[in-house]
Amino acid sequence: MMRAVIPPGLNSKFRMTTSESVLNISGLGYSYPGGITALSDVTFTVADNDVVGIVGPSGAGKSTLLLHLNGLLPQKLPQLADGESAAVDVCGLPMSAGHLPEIRRRVGFLFQDPDDQLFCPTVGEDVAFGPLNLELGREEIDTRVRESLAAVDLAGFETRSTLQLSAGERKRVCLAGVLACRPSLLALDEPTSNLDPRARRGLLKILREFRGSQIIATHDLELVVEHCSRVIVLDEGRVHADGAPDSILRDAALMETHGLEVPLSLRVGGPTNR
Amino acid sequence: MHIVDGPLSPEVCLGTGLLAAGAVGYSIHRLKDGLADRTVPLTGMMSALVFAGQMVNFPLIGAPVSGHLIGGVLAAVILGPWAGCLAITLVLMVQCLLFYDGGFSALGANILNMGVVGSIGGYAVYAVCRRFIGRGVGSTVVAAVVASWLSVMAAAFLFCIEFRLFHGSSDLDFGKVFALMVSFHSLIGIGEALITGTVISFVVRQRPDLIYSPDEHTSGTLAGAGRFVTAGCIAAMAVAAFVAPFASGHPDGLEAVAHETEFDSLQADFPALLLDEYAIPSPVEGWQESMLWQRLSVSLAGILGTVSVFVMAIGFGNALKPLATPAGAGHAE
Amino acid sequence: MCHRWPPKLKLLLTLAVVFTVISVPIRFWPLHGVFLSVVFIGHSLARIPLVYVARRLAVFLPMLIMLSFSVPISQGFQAGWELAASILVRGTTAFLCGLWLVNVMPFDQLLSTLRRLGIPAILVSMLAFMYRYFFVLWDELDKMRTARRARTFCHQTFWQRWKGSAQLIGMLLIRAMQRAERVHGAMCARGWDGHVRFLDDARSHSARSQQ
Repeated sequence: MMRAVIPPGLNSKFRMTTSESVLNISGLGYSYPGGITALSDVTFTVADNDVVGIVGPSGAGKSTLLLHLNGLLPQKLPQLADGESAAVDVCGLPMSAGHLPEIRRRVGFLFQDPDDQLFCPTVGEDVAFGPLNLELGREEIDTRVRESLAAVDLAGFETRSTLQLSAGERKRVCLAGVLACRPSLLALDEPTSNLDPRARRGLLKILREFRGSQIIATHDLELVVEHCSRVIVLDEGRVHADGAPDSILRDAALMETHGLEVPLSLRVGGPTNR
Repeated sequence: MHIVDGPLSPEVCLGTGLLAAGAVGYSIHRLKDGLADRTVPLTGMMSALVFAGQMVNFPLIGAPVSGHLIGGVLAAVILGPWAGCLAITLVLMVQCLLFYDGGFSALGANILNMGVVGSIGGYAVYAVCRRFIGRGVGSTVVAAVVASWLSVMAAAFLFCIEFRLFHGSSDLDFGKVFALMVSFHSLIGIGEALITGTVISFVVRQRPDLIYSPDEHTSGTLAGAGRFVTAGCIAAMAVAAFVAPFASGHPDGLEAVAHETEFDSLQADFPALLLDEYAIPSPVEGWQESMLWQRLSVSLAGILGTVSVFVMAIGFGNALKPLATPAGAGHAE
Repeated sequence: MCHRWPPKLKLLLTLAVVFTVISVPIRFWPLHGVFLSVVFIGHSLARIPLVYVARRLAVFLPMLIMLSFSVPISQGFQAGWELAASILVRGTTAFLCGLWLVNVMPFDQLLSTLRRLGIPAILVSMLAFMYRYFFVLWDELDKMRTARRARTFCHQTFWQRWKGSAQLIGMLLIRAMQRAERVHGAMCARGWDGHVRFLDDARSHSARSQQ
């Protein structure tokens, strides 16, 4: 069951603890080395096939939250004993140094800047990077590369140089590289930034075809309206709302309090999303 | 600074190549314990940066050409000696294999001079300086400036030795070749010291955490080997500044004195061009043509270079006032 | 035509010619003539345009001339001419050889050839990184230079220009290191553990799949 708004401070009451949950975050907090608090008492759950949008003003902690999903933050992960729980749980595995390789396979992370993620000279090598690290056999790697590139409409791009791609193509190659690891959860940081309308539509089409859960940190509220089944409002490191996009994004007072605004398509009375 | 195919004999190329390969292999070995999985992206990025940075123009006073960064000490100050050496090696490899800037056969010598001695040796000098003058912001810059100049001089001196070896022509007085090379490179060294100093002073004020600190990385300390390299570098500098002008091309020391008297006739024919650019005008008339002054002036050029480097370094240090708050610390993109 | 030769052959041939050129004493002038002809034949087989070669030579030759002439200059023009000639001729031949290799071997082919010739994997992967990110950094440098020029309204002193250039490099360095950290994060996100792996080395039979 989901509530439209969670008052700050109340968290554990609304946690889903079923084994179907792909992601379980409970009381997550984080402060930067300088002492600035980035996240405070964040709690929510993502079920199988959920598509969750995380929205909020700049500096709210969206990217920081996402970096916790595959153990890139905090910089030193604890070693947990059997049965011990952690603030972040992925597919039933608590976030710890021991579970990290498996968690990183299950969470496919798409970074905001494709140049940070496209680090091999050719497209084929870059998409094969993940499967190579999984120590798969040569044929399996080749198959995955082919399938992932086909899934992002870039079939035959294996030998292309990564230096000669357009912005949309770069984003899609990054996504292919992530898909090649067959993740259960896609974590996307501002996926539509710097994309022209056509590239944006292409990316959206690929995301709709993905079989699995997605968690998307974005400023693109129209993307949330079109694609997400749930939205979480994050501000100053705290969760201020968690529910259906239709009700939350239409709440003008809530939007403006947290540095956002009602998306255009909802303002002019566009189709409601169920 | 890059040696092309031609000046060096094949034996020297092979020898320096083997030395360079050994040193690079050792650097890789030392890196395995240190930066661990960060090594590949950081070092690759630093190579790209040095390569790009070498194309930035620095104006020179009174000259139509511009100065450029070499980057050995810069790489070592940020990444440490071993990664710095690898970064410079990569730059040299790409420059050679893709742009033919530096000969194939001379790649070993170039890596040895600029990567190994330039970066590892430069770091050793830098670390020793910091130990004596402190580890603050100003001291870091001073140490980097000194290390940059010395690394250029050491590389130049090494090139002279490599050039001398196995070139059996006896009609050449290699002392003069040395003197010319060393004087010229002391000027290049001042440029490199200035550039490195300015860049490091900028970086250390904005992001002091980027400066390499051996305390975090166990294998970064230069115990034992480091002291040896430092001693070697300082010795090389000393030789460059003080002994090179006196080096005789003749193996037999006893004959050297006899030949000196023959040099007098050659001295008089020294083209004015050289005297104007590399020698210091003598204060006393009549000294200009003497062999003693010729040698002394080159040596003085070396010492003057060293002193001006220290003065510059101290000037940098004084110009840096500690800021109230570290600017840009933890600044997220 | 030369582009389709086996990569190892191209690289080793170039190295062999270069080493031979520098080993032969300058006195054997006809032999040096033969080498130069061989190199020119190679250039025409590879269809390298003469204008391109001339332009690259125009950049390279002045430095070579300076280096070779420094020997006789230092001897007061009394000696050293043979050495100067040898440096000039050998250097030019080897340069043309290198230019040939650069034009017939694309970079990724070069990388895999180096790997097969035994260069350590960690060095080859660092080389790949360098190639990948040089152009990114170059673009950033360009943008910063343009931005600086757009805000420079008066004549700059020598020291201002010098400091400006150094700040460019400093800023680029900081950005480059920040990007390297992000790239490292992206590598870790896809399973990177510090162990360099190449596609060519992946075993042909399926290893245990971690589905």
